[in-house]
Amino acid sequence: MGLGELPLHTSLRSGTPIVLSLLGEAGREGLTQFYSHLPEPDRMVLKDDVTTQGWADRFLQKVGTGEVLSILAWEGPLVIAEGSLYRSLHGWMRHVGEIRVTIAPARRRQGLGLTLTGLLVRIATDFGIEKLVVQTMESQAGTRQTVEKLGFHTEAILPRHVTDLGGHKRDLILMSSDVSQIWASMEAMMQDYHPHSGG
Amino acid sequence: MTATEIRVGGLGGQGVILCASILGKCASIFAGRHATLIQAFGPEARGSACSAQVMISDDPIGYPYVKHPDILVLMSQDAYKQFVPQLKPGGLLLYENELVTLDDRLPAGARTCGIPATRFAEELGRRLVLNIVMTGFFGGTTDLLPLQALEEAVRSTVPKGTEELNLRALRRGYDFGREQQPEATHGPR
Repeated sequence: MGLGELPLHTSLRSGTPIVLSLLGEAGREGLTQFYSHLPEPDRMVLKDDVTTQGWADRFLQKVGTGEVLSILAWEGPLVIAEGSLYRSLHGWMRHVGEIRVTIAPARRRQGLGLTLTGLLVRIATDFGIEKLVVQTMESQAGTRQTVEKLGFHTEAILPRHVTDLGGHKRDLILMSSDVSQIWASMEAMMQDYHPHSGG
Repeated sequence: MTATEIRVGGLGGQGVILCASILGKCASIFAGRHATLIQAFGPEARGSACSAQVMISDDPIGYPYVKHPDILVLMSQDAYKQFVPQLKPGGLLLYENELVTLDDRLPAGARTCGIPATRFAEELGRRLVLNIVMTGFFGGTTDLLPLQALEEAVRSTVPKGTEELNLRALRRGYDFGREQQPEATHGPR
């Protein structure tokens, strides 16, 4: 499963069929509707204010430049989740990618977070990204459990780094996965031998 | 007995042995045929010449050494210089055409088919899969091994987590090989 297989027809744990597809211009309306219906507590943990005018334009522009790869999960005509891979196209962190996944509240705990994140991890490794990070607030235990299943671990805790809806300062937990190790094992297989005997 | 003798050559670190190993594994485990592999032993040395001999047959193989290959798969100029004179008359040379330049060493009557495998691998995201592109190219040009069996061999060989890109690399080489076939199809199939 990966970029080449999109759009991908799969299903939630409940059996509901869904389609995962790359975000393009055609997905703009679905994307905008999805984020506009997201409850405020969920929007609070997003880095961008998705309710502002022009947000979708800016986001699609980043998709166009390749800075962001975005996958939408469609249930019929509705977007029920969005997952993004952010990457720097130049500079000293071009080997690092960040994954952000947002799921509609009614569709959580149905395996969609794992599916979307796993897909983004595989796409990231295909892009040559060597390290992936996911940022979570201390209250997002479910998110951490999901990404731990994919090999992520807690790399850093930034105390009182984010503010929740109630105005309380919370810890930001930085999870990471060194996906370069996957390819290090492939590289090890590529070590060949000198030909002089047996040649 | 319909045995096909193959030699794979290139530089250490290009995955020459892995390419040959996948061909042999594909034939013997996933395609119901017999195969032998002899890899060049020695100290691990990236950047120096490296080769492997593969024999594929419908019958058990009694003598596994390849003296005059039916098919040469070459990924470096040094390997070309060393091995191309051994190519059987009418044999097939599959080569990385941005790393290997053909010259008058090529035996008369040999058929050739080139692929920019390194560039394809880079386009796919990792130069490392050059050898898998070449493996697919072998499949696409020779028809000696079914694509599905090659896919099984790759999937069961490469490290977990790298399967998808490796399979895409295999398919890239295979498809390119199919496109090239009209110009290089009179070979030992």
